[in-house]
Amino acid sequence: MADMDTFLHLMNGGAGNLAAYLAAHVLLCLLPAFFIAGAMAALIPKASITRWLGRSAPYRVSYPAAATAGSLLAVCSCTIVPLFAGVYKKGAGLGPAITFLFFAPAGNVLALAYTGGILGAEFAFARLVLSLLFGIGIGMLMAMLFWRDDDTHDQQTDALFAEQARIGPATTGVLLSLVAVLIAGTLKVSLLTTTVGALTLPLPWAEAWQATLFQWVPFDAAKGEEGVSVQGSLLIILLLLIGLSAWKGLENIVEGANRWTWIALGLTAATLLIAAMRLTPRADGLEFALTGRALAVGLTLWAVLHHARQLESDGWRAWLWESWRFVKQIFALLVVGVFIVGVIRQLIQPEWIQNLAGSNTLLANAVAVVFGVFMYFPTLVEVPVARMFLDLGMHRGPLLAYLMADPELSLQSILMVAAVIGRRKTFTYIGLVAVFSTAAGLLYGAWVDGMNPVWIAIGLAVFLGSLAALLAWTLGRRTAPAHA
Amino acid sequence: MKTVKILGSGCANCKKLEAVAREAATSAGIEAEFLKVTDMKAILAYDMLSTPGLVIDEKLVSSGRIPTQAEIRQWMVVS
Repeated sequence: MADMDTFLHLMNGGAGNLAAYLAAHVLLCLLPAFFIAGAMAALIPKASITRWLGRSAPYRVSYPAAATAGSLLAVCSCTIVPLFAGVYKKGAGLGPAITFLFFAPAGNVLALAYTGGILGAEFAFARLVLSLLFGIGIGMLMAMLFWRDDDTHDQQTDALFAEQARIGPATTGVLLSLVAVLIAGTLKVSLLTTTVGALTLPLPWAEAWQATLFQWVPFDAAKGEEGVSVQGSLLIILLLLIGLSAWKGLENIVEGANRWTWIALGLTAATLLIAAMRLTPRADGLEFALTGRALAVGLTLWAVLHHARQLESDGWRAWLWESWRFVKQIFALLVVGVFIVGVIRQLIQPEWIQNLAGSNTLLANAVAVVFGVFMYFPTLVEVPVARMFLDLGMHRGPLLAYLMADPELSLQSILMVAAVIGRRKTFTYIGLVAVFSTAAGLLYGAWVDGMNPVWIAIGLAVFLGSLAALLAWTLGRRTAPAHA
Repeated sequence: MKTVKILGSGCANCKKLEAVAREAATSAGIEAEFLKVTDMKAILAYDMLSTPGLVIDEKLVSSGRIPTQAEIRQWMVVS
């Protein structure tokens, strides 16, 4: 009997976690993010960025270009591996290739939007800035360490990187209005949260349904858990309907749209609008509160439609296909991952986490990095895992260290990198990522603890200085015998 | 007899491209041999920066996107 109770308790933990992650605020950031990622993959011509990554590009162009490519082009593994190998072998060389590789998992729009939605905008910003700085830093260090190998570029023409392309006005319009949907859906300002009007539909079963939901998925508000609201259950039903209609409408979108395509898109818009409203069950029915957010989301969705109509048919078909493909590839794994995280959370005692990583120490950051390196989670699942650690009392410094190390270094990416650049360089890269992630966690943790920014800047300078000195020493030792 | 190569490490788009290309060949009544190239070095031998890539009789005709059946039929007839 006790076993059965434990099992039910664990399942409840999983279901509760899943329900909380399908709640309105997560959908409002994740749904637009999938469409933005799809638009980037389908509509931004790769040549518009890769032309800055050729062999003759100077440092000050190639490193920023590599980081831009990481955030704009690399939402998909189809692009990451060939572009990484291409930039390394036929283009700007090892340094920019590594910068691209390091920045891509943290700098792409899906990761940023999701981190912001789950862990807070400030945390997403810290992840973005530190990944950018350290991505360029690691790239430059790798280029310095292995400068001799970089001369063994393929002796080919620069033709691969010579192609030029521009981003059309319709694409820019679609991308900007999608970003506007994302901002309108997530920004926490009073203009958006205020209630403009309310409408009560005569649905007397709403209150009873809410009671049933709370009974099905019990929750403990003290632990930071969320229950399923009537609104949440409505959104989950809508998501299932979107999934079904998208399967019929988007699977063969490359050949043209059908009736199901428009149903799927209409349902998506409806989901976003309902997620932006406030639904409250009352004694006499279900109250729909029209918020400023709902109006803003509606307005920006209209802007997306307006710009999308100016895309060529090839363009919007490819866009919808790429968005659907991301959903298929990532969303299912994310749902399973979130459920499992919810189950595991019931098994971990908060004291364990608090003892190990409750404060911002070198050991705590190092432990977080080691955990990140050895654990592999599918794309984006690292974010709910991080949320779990945060709720269990992990300090935000080590949390950032973990979040920087985990997606950068998985077994899959290590094997991939090793196949392209060889084992010696790969192990150096892993070492550098571990050191840099630990440093990033310590710095951010110090900032969270309220340390003076001047001291943090000095700490950063000391870290970079000692690293440079160490490198100069190793380089000197390696080149010395050659001269003797 | 055409030789059609699908370049890609096995991601969703590569499978989709293969399906579209097979349908294109069947509907045009063109006999073709399909080869999947998954080795990264072999893929990079062609000048491309993103998969999936489509090669017809050793000529790279598209990369980084999924062409429509009509496009592929045309390439098969021309090349």
